[in-house]
Amino acid sequence: MPKLPMRYLRYSLLLMVAFSCASEYKLLQPAMLEQSCVSKIKPRGFTTSWFTTSVDVVGKHLSGLLLIKNQPDSSTRVVFTSEAGITFFDFEFTKNGTFAVKRIVSQLDKKPIIQTLRKDFELTLGIPFRGVTPEVWTMNTEKWYGVKQKNETSYFITDTECASLLRLELGSTRKKKTEVFIRGKDPHDPDSVQIKHYNFAMQIELRKLMRE
Amino acid sequence: MNKIHSLTTYLLLVSLLLFRFEETFSQHTGFKPIVNFPDFKVQFKLESSKINSIVSDFAQEKVLTALTEKIKSEGKFLFMRNNKVRIEYQKPFTYLVMMNGEKMLVRDNQKDNRINVKSNKLFQQINRIMIDCVQGTMLDSKDFTVKVFEDDNTFLLEMTPVSKALSQFFQTIVLLVEKKDYSAKSIEMREPNGDKTVITFINKKLNAEIADAVFAL
Repeated sequence: MPKLPMRYLRYSLLLMVAFSCASEYKLLQPAMLEQSCVSKIKPRGFTTSWFTTSVDVVGKHLSGLLLIKNQPDSSTRVVFTSEAGITFFDFEFTKNGTFAVKRIVSQLDKKPIIQTLRKDFELTLGIPFRGVTPEVWTMNTEKWYGVKQKNETSYFITDTECASLLRLELGSTRKKKTEVFIRGKDPHDPDSVQIKHYNFAMQIELRKLMRE
Repeated sequence: MNKIHSLTTYLLLVSLLLFRFEETFSQHTGFKPIVNFPDFKVQFKLESSKINSIVSDFAQEKVLTALTEKIKSEGKFLFMRNNKVRIEYQKPFTYLVMMNGEKMLVRDNQKDNRINVKSNKLFQQINRIMIDCVQGTMLDSKDFTVKVFEDDNTFLLEMTPVSKALSQFFQTIVLLVEKKDYSAKSIEMREPNGDKTVITFINKKLNAEIADAVFAL
């Protein structure tokens, strides 16, 4: 093999490695906290609603109904059932941040599955942002409000004018792990929610069920 | 002393029997156990075998007891002997489940899922429940023990799962069957945590003509 192409190959590989190691958050620039924006946009969970739900995970597709219910004791229950009525899981998120599995079928009763779903719903319900003052950054035309937890940071992201919530995000120090898009006029009573994972192939879509 | 001991044992036995008796009756108000189970089984098999097809509307209600939540849905139900079922949920969501022998199709808003139920025993057991309930074969099921009760117009079949795998989904399944034609009136699935789902068949037409294509997968 001639020397020149070999050298190019090495440089290309080095560039690829360097590029893949680059933090997706390196362009975040610290910014001033605008309390009015936090008060206006910070996710606070949903009103009690049923959603039709589809889950695509590593090539498999399943669907069902998801209930998000706010309880009188200020806890939130997330219950997933099949359309025909079988309950797959029932999670409880309490006001003080604790989490309990009230019920789960043995097929789903695996720690990585429970942890993934727990983090997805905690982010979607805005639980990481409760009772804490977020740090603020800007990137391009977006404002990022983040709360660090161990090795991860939960963000809610707005436009620079703080007119609307663009999305929620969970990331490690370098990589985006999950994005949540909340769609509809009222972010506390959304028409649809999309939860998208970036570290493995999983997507959850919720569409609000209109009841008579 | 011996007399007192015998009396105590006797009273204990009587109270236990009474308790069991009361428990059996309180489970299904207005129903009493059938007298002759073997005769019932023969009769049930014979009469239900006369139903070759069912076209019906259905109403479903899922009750989450602890959360005081209910969700109601409705749709169309079709059955054709043997082992062909089509359940079309139409309100408030659209969803289709079709079973034809060992094949199954699930269609939600987004995708068609074709499943060979043979590859998953639990799936097979769950799917057989509906088929067994409507074609009158649940008394032969190895997956459930069945107790039978009756009132003037209805038989009540209380099915309790045998396996641990099915027990996590159902505590009991209660099937009501019309005495007049041995067709299923309702199916109530009771879950271990007290939640339940009731499917009630409305406007049933028995032995109506249904095209095979309706069950094509």
